Amino acid sequence: MTIKTTLLTASALGATLTGAAVAQEITVWDWKSGDPAAYGYIDEATRLFEEAHPGVEVNFVMQPNDQYYTLLGTALSSNAGPDVFLLNGGAQAQARFDALADVSDMAEGLLGTEEFSDADGTVYALPITTQGFVVYANKQRYADAGLDPEALPTTWDELSAACEAIIAQGDVPCFSMGNKEGFAAEFFVSALAASMLTAEEHAALKSGELAWSSPKMTAILDAWVETEAAGWYPQGGNSTAKFMDEYETFMRGEAANTIGLLSDVAHWKQFDDFLGAENLGVFRHPAPDASATAGDGGPMMPVAGGIGYGVNRASENIDLARELVATLASAEAIAIFAQDAGILPANPEVDTSAANSPTLTAILGMMDGASAPMAHANVSAGELEDLHRQSQLLLNGENTVQDAVQRLDAAQAAAE
Amino acid sequence: MGVSKTKQPLRKRGGKARSEERRFAFLFVMPALLLVVVFRIVPLIWGFVLSLTDARGVTEGAFIGFDNYAELARDPAFHDSMANTILLIATLPIWIMVPMLLAILIHQGVPGGKFYRAVYFFPATLSSVIVGSIFNVLLRNDGQLNQFLELFGIGAIDWLGNSNTALLSLIAVQLWATFGMSLLIFLAGLSTVPSDMIEAAKLEGASMLQTFWHVIIPTLRPIIEFVAVVTTIGVLTNMFGLIYVLTAGGPGTSTTLPEFLIWIELGRMNRPGYAAAISMVLFVLMAGIAYAQVRIMSRNVNV
Repeated sequence: MTIKTTLLTASALGATLTGAAVAQEITVWDWKSGDPAAYGYIDEATRLFEEAHPGVEVNFVMQPNDQYYTLLGTALSSNAGPDVFLLNGGAQAQARFDALADVSDMAEGLLGTEEFSDADGTVYALPITTQGFVVYANKQRYADAGLDPEALPTTWDELSAACEAIIAQGDVPCFSMGNKEGFAAEFFVSALAASMLTAEEHAALKSGELAWSSPKMTAILDAWVETEAAGWYPQGGNSTAKFMDEYETFMRGEAANTIGLLSDVAHWKQFDDFLGAENLGVFRHPAPDASATAGDGGPMMPVAGGIGYGVNRASENIDLARELVATLASAEAIAIFAQDAGILPANPEVDTSAANSPTLTAILGMMDGASAPMAHANVSAGELEDLHRQSQLLLNGENTVQDAVQRLDAAQAAAE
Repeated sequence: MGVSKTKQPLRKRGGKARSEERRFAFLFVMPALLLVVVFRIVPLIWGFVLSLTDARGVTEGAFIGFDNYAELARDPAFHDSMANTILLIATLPIWIMVPMLLAILIHQGVPGGKFYRAVYFFPATLSSVIVGSIFNVLLRNDGQLNQFLELFGIGAIDWLGNSNTALLSLIAVQLWATFGMSLLIFLAGLSTVPSDMIEAAKLEGASMLQTFWHVIIPTLRPIIEFVAVVTTIGVLTNMFGLIYVLTAGGPGTSTTLPEFLIWIELGRMNRPGYAAAISMVLFVLMAGIAYAQVRIMSRNVNV
């Protein structure tokens, strides 16, 4: 009888504990947790959270990157969404503010929260990385063209002259190019807009008040067409994927420059590994007719909040989900991510000195006072889709800039 | 009168029996009917209701009547996708002629016919993503096809990156990948062509072309119509994988078909309501073709 009672009690306790554990499971959706470079970060964040919350389990579910928002949208609309989910800053985050809980009280001190905030300043996700675009250069290709690889371009004229010399050398194009999905155009527009638009104009573009047919936006698309006409890019850009075909071209040394990222992929750590740290240069993309300049007088660079974790407003465990997001954005967990994947953290308390890369040192040195909004991340999804399409037609010479900006204006008006 | 008295109860019993039989039969049909209603009819109605809202992902969306359909009438991307659809349907004769001619050759007993039959069918067993990946390597600007053309002094053509060639390239790849199935259907149909008719034609001195035109083609007519309908529905609803891998719908909208546009509106633009409206248009298009299929099939039954 005693044994039976003990067994029954143990079973009941076990069932209760199991039930509690299941009820306390926090599900996280992302496209990162399957990346080996993120394993350490995910493990550390999970450990920190589960130690602080005994009996609660964190379940990371990695979704395919290219279908992420489709799957997420379907899950959220059928009220089957995860407790916590990863988001890109800008348009993708904005489109999902309705589904996200307010995390403003936990966002203090983090960089790039603007990309996850509405017009009232309410923050809906905590950024974990700082993202932005710079131009990475193959110094050997500069030397081959008779250029000084230690004096990389700082003005549009210098960049034009460098490209002219590299093209004249005849071995490689000036920039590698992958615009199959229109991403190369996104990067180009943001890189030039960083210097060509003032802070007010960036805000106006975001609110839909600065039309694509305005002189400055038109000038950016003109530059896209002119650089193609000047032979900066290889043939076949519209059938080449930016991720990762364009970058593989650059890493094989088959192009002198590429517009790359600061964090995650296609960034200094990856290029260091392939080209050798001593052979990799970095500079901010110059622009014609710059309106804004950095503290050192050089071009500005587009910087944004990168990716961040938000809390599903409909979560049944909203308090625990908020605490998990805080852990995922904490300096302790992010430090591992920075070390393993070479991200630039959104949390300024993270120490990046251990990375020991001259390219990273150069990037950190050029960021001060040079950060500008990432223009393409601040326009509507409809404008972005049309930018992809129009940029391809412009690259092929199948459309004029005038026609393209009219279509983009229409997409902008439709988004209001 | 006496007769009627004896017949009436018989009719009643017969009617009752039939009614019971019907109820019993309905029980058997019920599971299948339920599946069709739950997984086909309800989602269809739900999709139509969704198309009348301005749903944006997580929000339910307000009822906006036929505004989404009105927007479709103004949407240049949708117009382009429909124009691409028409171009695709215009290539239908090629989709039928190629497998039919090859099937006739195999049926006529060309040497190695069985080998060719297996080879032609092989691509039909590959997923569209694999086919896309193979042709991505072949057709890209620095791909093997351009390298081959270069041997003859022909400059590189960006098959997938140029609006003039991208859709035709996609069609060619899809044709290569799927015509094996149509070929098998034609082979099955050819086996039903009576050999005595062909013999008779030969005895009458008919040439091969005359035999082909006056004997084989008329006998194959139901098969040709069937392949035409099935192929049309197939190309309009099964090219997503190829588009996704090979061109991503571009350049511009030159390879954007309605099914790909639905995915863009749903996934990237976060507009399920609008995507549902495009789905409804595609459904009506498909329903029209399916109706044609039913008519063709029933007509041939009578024949």
